[in-house]
Amino acid sequence: MDVRSQVSMVFHLDKCIGCHTCSIACKNVWTDRKGTEYMWWNNVETKPGTGYPTKWEDQEEYRGGWELIDGKLRLKSTGKARIVPNIFHNPSQPSMDDYYEPWTYRYEDLFNAPEGDDQPTAVPISKVTGELIDIEAGPNWDDDLGGSEIYAKNDPNMASLTPEQQSQMMAIERLVFFYLPRICNHCLNPSCVASCPSGALYKRGEDGIVLIDQNVCRAWRSCIAACPYKKTYFNWNAGKSEKCILCFPRLETGQAPACFHSCVGRIRYLGVLLYDADKIEDVASRKDEELIDAHRDMVLDPHDPAVIAGARANGIHDSVVESAQNSPVYKFVKDWKIALPPHVEYRTLPMLFYVPPLLPVMSQRNGDTIESVSEDLFHAFDQARAPLEYLGNLLGGGNTGKVSYALRKQMAVRLWRRAVTVGDITKEAAEAALREADCTPEEADEIFKLSTTATFDDRFVIPPMHREEAIEMMKDTDDHRRETGFGFLTGPRRGS
Amino acid sequence: MPRTRRTTRCCALLAALFLAVAAGRVAAQTPADDFKQSCSSCHTIGGGPLTGPDLKNVAKRKDRAWLRRFILDPAGVLASGDPYAKELLAAAGGVQMPPVAGMTGDRADALLDLIEAESAKERSKFAGSTVSDRPLTDDDVEHGRAVFLGTTRLENGGPSCVSCHAMGDIGWLGGGRLGPDLTKVFERYKDRRRLAAWLTAPATETMLPTFKDHPISDDEILGLVAYFRHAAAESEEDTAPRALVFILLGLAGTMGALVAFNNVWSGRFRSVRKALVENVRKGGA
Repeated sequence: MDVRSQVSMVFHLDKCIGCHTCSIACKNVWTDRKGTEYMWWNNVETKPGTGYPTKWEDQEEYRGGWELIDGKLRLKSTGKARIVPNIFHNPSQPSMDDYYEPWTYRYEDLFNAPEGDDQPTAVPISKVTGELIDIEAGPNWDDDLGGSEIYAKNDPNMASLTPEQQSQMMAIERLVFFYLPRICNHCLNPSCVASCPSGALYKRGEDGIVLIDQNVCRAWRSCIAACPYKKTYFNWNAGKSEKCILCFPRLETGQAPACFHSCVGRIRYLGVLLYDADKIEDVASRKDEELIDAHRDMVLDPHDPAVIAGARANGIHDSVVESAQNSPVYKFVKDWKIALPPHVEYRTLPMLFYVPPLLPVMSQRNGDTIESVSEDLFHAFDQARAPLEYLGNLLGGGNTGKVSYALRKQMAVRLWRRAVTVGDITKEAAEAALREADCTPEEADEIFKLSTTATFDDRFVIPPMHREEAIEMMKDTDDHRRETGFGFLTGPRRGS
Repeated sequence: MPRTRRTTRCCALLAALFLAVAAGRVAAQTPADDFKQSCSSCHTIGGGPLTGPDLKNVAKRKDRAWLRRFILDPAGVLASGDPYAKELLAAAGGVQMPPVAGMTGDRADALLDLIEAESAKERSKFAGSTVSDRPLTDDDVEHGRAVFLGTTRLENGGPSCVSCHAMGDIGWLGGGRLGPDLTKVFERYKDRRRLAAWLTAPATETMLPTFKDHPISDDEILGLVAYFRHAAAESEEDTAPRALVFILLGLAGTMGALVAFNNVWSGRFRSVRKALVENVRKGGA
């Protein structure tokens, strides 16, 4: 057993209102520099939809993640035969158009326009070239456009659905959408790290945050093709790739990452998971249907004395283990099993988990009239507008079992709380529902509490980073003993 | 400070040692070697004129100061309108003596001493090239052609001529462009003896260092002379269109390569999103 610690995340999709506050917080902090205009380290996309960049889930286009060949893990994006003919240009990357060409408006036109019959307008100009552009797409172009011909219909998760299911998802009054906020998953088996020819990407030992060393990056852009979630980006100005850093400077000072902190719907949870690094290769090479369970099994119980001893032997501080014991992520992923990794079939073992959304049917078309069915809050979830198969493709590794387990439990918690607070459902009926959902009244109360009234400190259990110890692993701190606070090891260079 | 003084002395000693070594290296080349490499391609001592005049007893024809000046800067002396220099230029058929790379006053003196000493001998070892003057055959032409193209390796390991020089009769690409076109070189030298002498010790700035340690053998020179004479007689003077063809071929090759690359990597500007939009537009219309 090789115990490591990983700062992990849960996004509760049933609570996301799609306000993009997280994206804006991230953009303002990290990607408002020249060359990064098009990057959204945090983005929120409407599902069903093709997302950002367009169709990022289509690995036939982008060749991200791992594939199993004769039981061995291989990067999909590269290999000995592919690397030579494509050495100067990796054809599997998204183009600027697949992200979007960033733009602003020429606001001075509003003031400088000569007098005329028409109101002056601020014309859009490209933030890359400065020229006039026709805006054709944006990072959330299909926002709230469930059912759209171009974007929703081409969602790769829809491909395996029956034509009836597909047309139902597009049908008027039944069309469905929910929001999928995405950041880097800080995977346990990151294909971006594996693909880098310069060795610029690394996973921080103490907290598992995946970073790109800006001094080592040589702009090969292999990581951009290799990441199946398309969460590494190329800065065309700096000539280096960049990605979400999980706001590690904030984490190191005990603050939640900007997107977590700013989340209006309070959908985000952050905490440490201890996992067994010896199992990574074995787990990542399992069959598709075993992946979710195997991934969950890697996560170790932080109360187990053997795990605690293993953690101590690996230099994990007791305070980090304690933080892992209070981790809300551990509860969602391990105890309650209602948070699932996105597209686990890419085999990168993402450490960001999603609680699937319930998506009740709110209204129904009956002949020529539209009936509101909103009084029925507790519908059968397998009748939900988003077919289970769709959510299974997104969060279940292609299977519906785990998703329906998570949805059934969430529904049972609602019934239980309805019985407790309103009383129009009998406790017996609610308890029966809980039993059916593999849940107890105590667990239901806990789920309810963490999903609704949890405070900042309940949602974000940030481990002490112990940078002093992490640094001692790399260099002798006595070298800089009397220099504390004087200058930088490397001076910061900010964008112009 | 004693320490500083010692350091200074050490430095001075080192510098002196270095200078001595450097001087030794220069001195390692004897005037005889120098003459062979720098002068013998155009001059003999007692072997009659080649491109330049025979230097036997040159000290009696002109005073030493003038000779020294001319060796150091032939172009300067000519430009100053010196009548004797003009006479020499006319005698050499208008070929001006090129400046000798790295020529110094001391070297010029050493060379003049050598010429004087050699002039006194009955037969100087610089009386002319040792290349045979037997009649040239078709086999010689073939051999010379092979040497020029490098299909036969040069005996002493020198590079083949085609790497820098072009010839009119070796196809459209013609050969290298670094050195001059040699199609009509035989007409320029007029005489196989001169050409052979020149090849024994090529003295231009580019050829001298290249062939200094890998001289062309007498046998090869004979072949090359035969080949040059044959080529000069057979080919027409058409260097200008050939240069143009060379450039056009280059352009066409580049275009061809670009077109090929464009096809092989035709997917590089693909856009996933635009394809989706196009699909729907086509379907909708």
